[in-house]
Amino acid sequence: MGRDRYPKQSLGSLYSRIKDSRVLMVGAGGIGCELLKNLVLTGFGEIHIVDLDTIDLSNLNRQFLFRHEHIKKSKALVAKESAGRFNPNVKIEAHHANIKDPQFNVDYFKSFAVVFNALDNLEARRHVNKMCLAADVALVESGTTGFNGQVSVIKKGKTECYDCTHKATPKSFPVCTIRSTPSQPIHCIVWGKSYLLTEIFGTSEDDSPELDHSEDSENRKELEKLRQESQALKTIRQSMGSEDFPRLVFNKVFKEDIERLRSMEEMWKTRKAPHALDYDGLSQEALGSGSAIAQQDQVTWTLAENFSVFVDSIRRLSNRLEDLRASTEAGNAPPILSFDKDDVDTLDFVAATANLRSYIFGIEMKSKFDIKQMAGNIIPAIATTNAMTAGLAVLQGFKIMRDELDKAKTVFLNPGKGLTERATLPEPPRAPNPDCPVCSVAQTRLIVDTSRATLNDLVEDFLKLQMGYGEEFSVNSDAGTLYDPELDDNLSKKFPELGVNGDSFITIIDEEDENPRVNLVLAISDQSLPEDSKPIHLPEKLSIARKPKQTPAPPETNGNGAVTNGAAKRKRDVNEAELEDELIRKRGKVVEEPSKGLQNGDSIILDDSADGAIVIDDD
Amino acid sequence: MDGTVPAPTASNGTSFPAPDAAGETVAAIAQAQTISADEIALYDRQIRLWGVQAQEKIRTANILIVSMKALANEAAKNLVLSGIGSLTIVDSEVVTEDDLCSQFFISEADLGKNRAQAAAPQIQKLNPRVNVKALTGNILLQGPDFYNPYDVVIATDLDFTTLTTINAATRLSNTPFYAAGAHGFYGYIFADLISHDYNIERDKPNMETLIRPESATRSIISVSTKKESGKTIEMVTKRELYSPLLLANSSPLPPEYLRNRRKLKLVSPLLTCLRALWDYQKESGATLPSHQHADLHRFTTLATEKHKEFQLPADTLKSEFLRSFLQNLGSELAPVTAFLGGQLAQDVINVLGKRLQPIQNLLLFNGEESSAPVYALHPIFDVPILLQAPAVNGSGQINID
Repeated sequence: MGRDRYPKQSLGSLYSRIKDSRVLMVGAGGIGCELLKNLVLTGFGEIHIVDLDTIDLSNLNRQFLFRHEHIKKSKALVAKESAGRFNPNVKIEAHHANIKDPQFNVDYFKSFAVVFNALDNLEARRHVNKMCLAADVALVESGTTGFNGQVSVIKKGKTECYDCTHKATPKSFPVCTIRSTPSQPIHCIVWGKSYLLTEIFGTSEDDSPELDHSEDSENRKELEKLRQESQALKTIRQSMGSEDFPRLVFNKVFKEDIERLRSMEEMWKTRKAPHALDYDGLSQEALGSGSAIAQQDQVTWTLAENFSVFVDSIRRLSNRLEDLRASTEAGNAPPILSFDKDDVDTLDFVAATANLRSYIFGIEMKSKFDIKQMAGNIIPAIATTNAMTAGLAVLQGFKIMRDELDKAKTVFLNPGKGLTERATLPEPPRAPNPDCPVCSVAQTRLIVDTSRATLNDLVEDFLKLQMGYGEEFSVNSDAGTLYDPELDDNLSKKFPELGVNGDSFITIIDEEDENPRVNLVLAISDQSLPEDSKPIHLPEKLSIARKPKQTPAPPETNGNGAVTNGAAKRKRDVNEAELEDELIRKRGKVVEEPSKGLQNGDSIILDDSADGAIVIDDD
Repeated sequence: MDGTVPAPTASNGTSFPAPDAAGETVAAIAQAQTISADEIALYDRQIRLWGVQAQEKIRTANILIVSMKALANEAAKNLVLSGIGSLTIVDSEVVTEDDLCSQFFISEADLGKNRAQAAAPQIQKLNPRVNVKALTGNILLQGPDFYNPYDVVIATDLDFTTLTTINAATRLSNTPFYAAGAHGFYGYIFADLISHDYNIERDKPNMETLIRPESATRSIISVSTKKESGKTIEMVTKRELYSPLLLANSSPLPPEYLRNRRKLKLVSPLLTCLRALWDYQKESGATLPSHQHADLHRFTTLATEKHKEFQLPADTLKSEFLRSFLQNLGSELAPVTAFLGGQLAQDVINVLGKRLQPIQNLLLFNGEESSAPVYALHPIFDVPILLQAPAVNGSGQINID
């Protein structure tokens, strides 16, 4: 077979293993297209692809397996078509599905030699991490943002897993900042998107994830006023469709509410006080400009232009919602409109209202282009970074397939100044975090005949008798606690009654004071077992480690006087020290979900501890 | 748009066709117009990274790639996706079975066809807005004038003599030049940008930024500030000076290495092997050492010599590495060519947009280590290279006096 010469030449005996292997790629987008191309050309025997997404125009600057005519089609299916042509000897199976679907259970993951992630969100990465740990299959994780990219290898018991290190969660803002005292454009954008749009066109929920209610108790009076404002807006909502609707909404949020805020003098002692807007005055000013300005997304609109877009977009949205309502059958839930960065009407509305609010508070207004990025959490993306990262990912895959995990690397791209020194920052994989709640647990498959087995069988026969647990432990599922010493109501129930089916996970938490075991995660596999044998069967020998002793570590200094937090002391030469500094800077840069704030900040958190020492937390 | 240009034999005996006057005019008109709303929508995710101005520079760029193997496939893909104005590929070779291992623009049906002409239609499909052209003649028959229309020249997977010949011509036509190559797990990218100015923007630092040299090859040539979103932004223009490949190949490591034993110990033996390969190609005419004992012996001797010339410690050139390098010669491995093609294209894009530091000047990639060290190889004279730079006159042409 002609295509073999170079892979054979360079890979040697590894090549026949690769030809006979099955690998899974999760995600067929920016990294996925590049990764698939590499896997196919190298000759991996069977490649599975899972992606739930469809193709969009903005993908085409980098997802090179897709063309214009593929827009709206399934990424997984089109990727298979396009890449399949690169090597007819490779078998590709594509699933237009969510990797969290039940069909992709632990056994499915177990059937692969390596799993490659090509994802763009934290939740899916967490899930695949968990499944690969449960299946004990090596996972090559990767991510890119702009010019930055990184690859790492995850193998249970051998390397850090995805959750061994803290992952930054998307930024949220205090309610009062959004509703009363904004100071940045992003505050006004979140207001337009998560408050105003939702109140008028969506279901009004008080718990948008972007709003942080934890300061509630301090500002109770203010919060009560804000609640009243929301109520008043709901009333105005009923006038939707009338000629007057834009004016009613405008006067409420850009005049009345502002005047009320302005009257709270203490609020403005150290801040710029807001100035209400005048509907009629702006109407006059806006007479010249049409609503065509809405299409100009690169320029920042004037106040009058924002006003035009506000009036026009609120009418468009009102008409759409009315049409939706008219075509909804009685008895069904009332239809709503919600923000979608690619939905022109909602974007125009959020852009205009955010800018109007910014103007009121003396904050600079932004172009629609910029607002779309902030409101839509758009991550800039290019072909080259994905190409480099996907190349590095497959190179780590080779190490895994050669059983040379210790030679695999965690690699960061090093753009910018790096092109005078080194374009990549490779480092050996780190050991698992012994306190990791996800991987430093004992894990095993448990075969359960769910038609016969009861919770009591699990608790008494399996855990106490067979595994030697004492009295103090709890049994937990995704739904909640099923058993603990105080909760024994469920013991006689069968598994399905408790919501535990095949392919569920059950976690056993040892609550003994003395030398407790680490958490035990049982991956339930539902099988019929003969009547005369036990309904619960442990297929593989299992020894459960004990939790590491919790002794507080003495603070260590790194010679510069700064206190380092738990990092192992080791001699480092200048190069290593530089490398480590660069890595610390890099770790913050690849973001799964972009922060709702504007900065992709470094994850170095300077935390003044009680005794004044500065602790550098280099997660 | 038909990406290939028919190759009649012109009266000069080469297969290069006469310029297509009508086609050029159409393309010129299209590119003279400013960036359209459709383009902004297509390039949205990259415009958000480097801005509309950089994109406008990219869309009028005219790039030449010589020789179309796997690395060139990757670079072409990335450049065309980014929206360059036009891409010309030159290759006189035909598609063989080996090409099918790691190249994705061609398939079984293309066996025996000219490599450039076979790849061009698939490259074109990636982005109909780019003007893709294929030329089939022998590049060595072209003089400096051939390179004039191009904004960047990229020569891939070619032997040392061909590379230096092309580089000599690009120096005369004042065109930025890249040489790149891949051998299985290993590869390199070399840049000769002659004299390249680029801009960076940053928050104005507390200390004043002075107009002065930063390194042997780089200096700050202008500084200005502007206010944006209430912050003061500093705009700095830097200039990097380069050496042609022929000189770089006989240059030592920079002084900061030669003074530092620890740094020397960490220098990749790939540097030695690449220089040995190039010297081998210079003296033997043949492209790669064969598996014959005599060839291997000659190469090993050369490598040991070069290693010494670099003043590298003998124990960092291990026979294991030499074996691995020789084993990989001539091979093409997709993940490696993907990395190199990506890094190369990104550098070209940065050069076109005049943003960010470009490679200075030799990047090596070791796919077994995932390492990509960059070494600045320039001749050392009594006077620093900065003051050696030829004067650039008002229209940007280099005065050779």
